[in-house]
Amino acid sequence: MDYLLQGFMQGFVLLFNGDAETYSAIWATVYASSLSMACSLLIGVPLGFLLGYTTFPGKGAVRTTVDTLLSFPTVVIGLVVYALLTRNGPLGGTGLLFTIPGVAVGQTLLGLPIIVALTANAVEGLDKRLPMTLITLGASRRQILWATVTEARFSIILAAMAAYGRIVSEIGISMMVGGNIKWHTRTITTAIALETGKGEFAMGVALGMVLLAVALAVNVAAAGMKKKAVQ
Amino acid sequence: MIQPLVSLKNVTQSYSGRTVLSVDALDVMPGAILGLAGPNGSGKSTMLRLIAFLEAPASGEILFRGRPASIRPGAAHRDVTLLVQEPYLLKRTVFANIAYGLKVRGKNDIPAKVRRAMELVGLAPDQFARRQWFELSGGECQRVALAARLVLKPRLLLMDEPTASLDEKSSRLVREAALFARNELGAGLVTASHDMSWLRDVSDCVLHMDGGRIVGREQLS
Repeated sequence: MDYLLQGFMQGFVLLFNGDAETYSAIWATVYASSLSMACSLLIGVPLGFLLGYTTFPGKGAVRTTVDTLLSFPTVVIGLVVYALLTRNGPLGGTGLLFTIPGVAVGQTLLGLPIIVALTANAVEGLDKRLPMTLITLGASRRQILWATVTEARFSIILAAMAAYGRIVSEIGISMMVGGNIKWHTRTITTAIALETGKGEFAMGVALGMVLLAVALAVNVAAAGMKKKAVQ
Repeated sequence: MIQPLVSLKNVTQSYSGRTVLSVDALDVMPGAILGLAGPNGSGKSTMLRLIAFLEAPASGEILFRGRPASIRPGAAHRDVTLLVQEPYLLKRTVFANIAYGLKVRGKNDIPAKVRRAMELVGLAPDQFARRQWFELSGGECQRVALAARLVLKPRLLLMDEPTASLDEKSSRLVREAALFARNELGAGLVTASHDMSWLRDVSDCVLHMDGGRIVGREQLS
């Protein structure tokens, strides 16, 4: 139990003393997760909307595929992205391997199914009277689409929070695609794995607390957005 | 000669092969209040959805101001609006709900127009404008939805059982709002209701429907 308490104390020390290595890992984590969340939302919300709003042959199969991808292991995503980005891979020329944007590519693949599936669910779950209401109020087709997304905004915020939770806590992609390079691609989760491997439990606990604090900050911001969305 | 707002010519509507409405001819004139009476399943709501251009008839023709209109969102929907029995409110404030139709039309002076519409349906603007959709009773929802339609100054206002969930005072407010729409805005009105005394009180003419057909016409004023 001592190392837990020690880790708790050390966490505060690392944060409040501005420890450079800790803040480098925090920056890498926030940078990669922000980039991947932006990509996941930009691609995932329109795709999820289309999936939930429209009907087409094979829709059931697409839904099943997206739902299956929800439980895609992060190491497998890491492996696939590594294979694509490695020098001999089809995207080797991009130079993204062992970079934060490279990690973000993998994390986008992780977050995308969550955003798509939950957005589709949200749109499918909207009140059936909504389209008729919007038409009778004189909305154009474009305005109807936008209002439908707006009506699903609370569920989309929840989808974003769920995706962020999975992205910020993953390790497989960061380790395989990022390479856990100190001062460069070392994220909080890869740093925790490294410190624990070295037997530095207290340091691992401290970094875990930092990760929780980052997640808390994001969730507080999301709750603020939700409150603003209600108003 | 005054052109009808909406004309139905040999219109039928069917669901799953069953004919639920059959109307040989019907004109809805500007400034007229037409009541629809009849038991459940008599075709009142189907008729309102057809006149609102929300669904296409199985056969026949529906003209809006002398021209065929599409059920796709378009010009007719900017002039014809429908208030249903259990209206859906957007997940926004009362103000935003009433302002929505004005915003999609790019209108100016929205706050003053919303305020006026709220007063028309008996909702004190200072008390209700900032309320959320989930903070309203059924009757208040109905009045917000009515205000959201009156504020658009429609040429034709359609109401399906507008007083079904309202108390006596609110029913009176809806009647006054309907008369305002006709007298001040020059709108035509078609309203379906089971409340015959309310319907006779508000309408110029009541059509009695049964089995999807118009079986009687009662001229009131």
